Amino acid sequence: MGAVLPLSVLFLWEILSRLGVLSEDGFSRPTRFFVAGARALADGTLLQQTAQTFAAAAQALLIAALAGIALGAILGLFRPLERAAQLTIDALRPIPSVALIPLALLLFGFSREMSAAVAAFACFWPILLVTIASVRAIDVRMLEVGRLLGFPFAKIIWKVAIPAALPGILVGIRVAAGIAIVVTVTTEIVTNPRGLGFAMTMAAQSLQADLVWATLLWVGVIGWLVNWGLERLERRWLRYR
Amino acid sequence: MLEARAVSVAFGAQQILRDVSFEVGEHEFVCLVGPSGCGKTTLLRVLAGLTPVSSGRALFKGDEVRGPQTALAVVFQDYGRALLPWRTVAGNVALALEARGIPSAEFADRINPLLEKLRLAQHAGKFPSQLSGGMQQRLQIARCLAQEPQVLLMDEPFGSLDAITRQELQDEVARLAKDERRTVVFVTHDLEEAIYLGDRVIALAANPGRIAEIVTIDLPRPRTQLATREDPRFLEYRHRLYRHLGH
Amino acid sequence: MKRLAWFSTSVLFLAALLVAWKLAADAKLVNPLWFPGPDKSFSKLFEWVTTGSLWAPLGQTVWRMFAGWLLACAAGITLGAAIASSTLARRLLQPSAEFLRPLPASAILPPAILVLGFSDAMIVFVVAFGCVWPILLGAIHGFGSLDQRLTEVSRLLNLSAWDRAWKFQLPNALPHIFAGMRVSIAIALIVTVASEMLSSQPGVGYLMLVAARAFRSADIFAGIIVLGMLGFLTNYATQKLEDWLLRWRPA
Repeated sequence: MGAVLPLSVLFLWEILSRLGVLSEDGFSRPTRFFVAGARALADGTLLQQTAQTFAAAAQALLIAALAGIALGAILGLFRPLERAAQLTIDALRPIPSVALIPLALLLFGFSREMSAAVAAFACFWPILLVTIASVRAIDVRMLEVGRLLGFPFAKIIWKVAIPAALPGILVGIRVAAGIAIVVTVTTEIVTNPRGLGFAMTMAAQSLQADLVWATLLWVGVIGWLVNWGLERLERRWLRYR
Repeated sequence: MLEARAVSVAFGAQQILRDVSFEVGEHEFVCLVGPSGCGKTTLLRVLAGLTPVSSGRALFKGDEVRGPQTALAVVFQDYGRALLPWRTVAGNVALALEARGIPSAEFADRINPLLEKLRLAQHAGKFPSQLSGGMQQRLQIARCLAQEPQVLLMDEPFGSLDAITRQELQDEVARLAKDERRTVVFVTHDLEEAIYLGDRVIALAANPGRIAEIVTIDLPRPRTQLATREDPRFLEYRHRLYRHLGH
Repeated sequence: MKRLAWFSTSVLFLAALLVAWKLAADAKLVNPLWFPGPDKSFSKLFEWVTTGSLWAPLGQTVWRMFAGWLLACAAGITLGAAIASSTLARRLLQPSAEFLRPLPASAILPPAILVLGFSDAMIVFVVAFGCVWPILLGAIHGFGSLDQRLTEVSRLLNLSAWDRAWKFQLPNALPHIFAGMRVSIAIALIVTVASEMLSSQPGVGYLMLVAARAFRSADIFAGIIVLGMLGFLTNYATQKLEDWLLRWRPA
């Protein structure tokens, strides 16, 4: 039932385009852009660009996760440290990730690292905050049991703290994964000449309306698939909850 | 005033009420009492026009009840869900006045006496989330009274409250009903509450819901928590009706 | 007293970080062309403020952001109310809204540029498009969630459909709508700045991109500080507005 709307929109679009109501330069038409999309898939460019975007997003997520979980665990375990850092977090977090694009451009030039750096900044905050909350929520009793059993500190962290905090942290990572892709695509649209974002910008610059819409559709599908995949993964991993 | 004539209500295969008939006279305080599942709430909702009958008729002043109407005000048990959380105490009472189309210039004159009567005057500016359970229920009653209804239908209104608050509110409702000569239909599972408050008590049996016995309560008014409940007649009524509660 | 102590500690912590920044910049750990110290950054910002060169681009950014966001609020709330009132509409439209929510708002930029060209209207449209989905979904959820008991109360009071919508449905939906609005205002800032960078329209974003190409790192950092403050202020203002409008909520 949910397919009714998109299909009717495409249908209407096709008709209006053929009738000349919708300008072809801007809007193209569904039949054309499915062809353009198929072509881009077939000659591998679309897949290559998808891989580039994913690579940058994955790198960003990895960096953000390592930094976020490490820092989050420390701040979560040591309340005084967290309170001291609160102002700094509140000052840095509202910075929109796009504001860092010029800086990243300066530091890394046109490269995968440029997109990854900006996306890593955006992903860092949700992971940090969720880790702090998850670590703080660990039942103190569990830690006490660990100490009573004579575990050294590191073992307590590994065997008790991390598994207890893991479900919350995974949710944060799922959210961050979505953010990683969105921000990576944004950097590619704005300036970085690689990946799916750049594919769209380039197509727009060369006035290939059909390719622009085709890539947009592809990005939408990819975004939805990633989101759906991550939700399913999360549900399977956290089934024991 | 209010009449149920051979009212039967079935939800699918389940028969909730079967062939219930009784009348409520003007200014009367009638209590409906019975064990869980006897359909007393359903019966009240039928009278209020919120639940349709499967057969039989519900009549208000001779006319068939087809849907909710402002002449019949309902006080729900879950007071938290029946109040507008985003309006203050005064605002919630004002809702009834707005519904009646009364000009806002008159609101203060009408709301303040009502709040005084229900001892909510100093909380007029508070929101329901800041009130205790008893206060919220009093607020619901105040709003219903602001409707100036002809009948007050109360569905286990004190069921969610602690014993002390319950007794306070019992006396308040009894006083209000007598002072303003209101017609009240009061549903409860508490037999003593029913006898304490009612002019008549209608005991319902369960599975399916039907009238087991109707008893006229001949106890002097005003009634008090200590004296009335120790009155030998009170205990007699209690004995008589006790078996209908599924014991 | 204790709160004051903790606040001072966090100020000291931030100050310590600023000092570390300055030391790192002075020690030339990173090429100073790319990495100015806090003194250079803040003094550049100060210069912008005193010479007045900040206000025009900032004004552009702010007006586009709010125009788009307000448009999205109006559209999201009215559409959400309409959709929530009809099960058929919900089943037809909600899946599409859910599908469009994870779409990067900035991905609309290339098609929008193609259709609308480089203009303010294009940016406002893209911002509105990006902002509308959280608000719309919040509104659909909020308008459809009126407690059944309250619906009965409205029937017992014999309220008109208009009264029911305005006095019952809307206040009930407001918490959900606000949740969407808070998410959207953050999106609005991001999309506005991204649009300015891409389309070279005058604004803070464009200012910063030009500075990057000219290797004016102090300008970049000043811009980051400005945008950070803008982000903080808009979030703070929205939160305070929400706290006031929804002050009836249980603690």
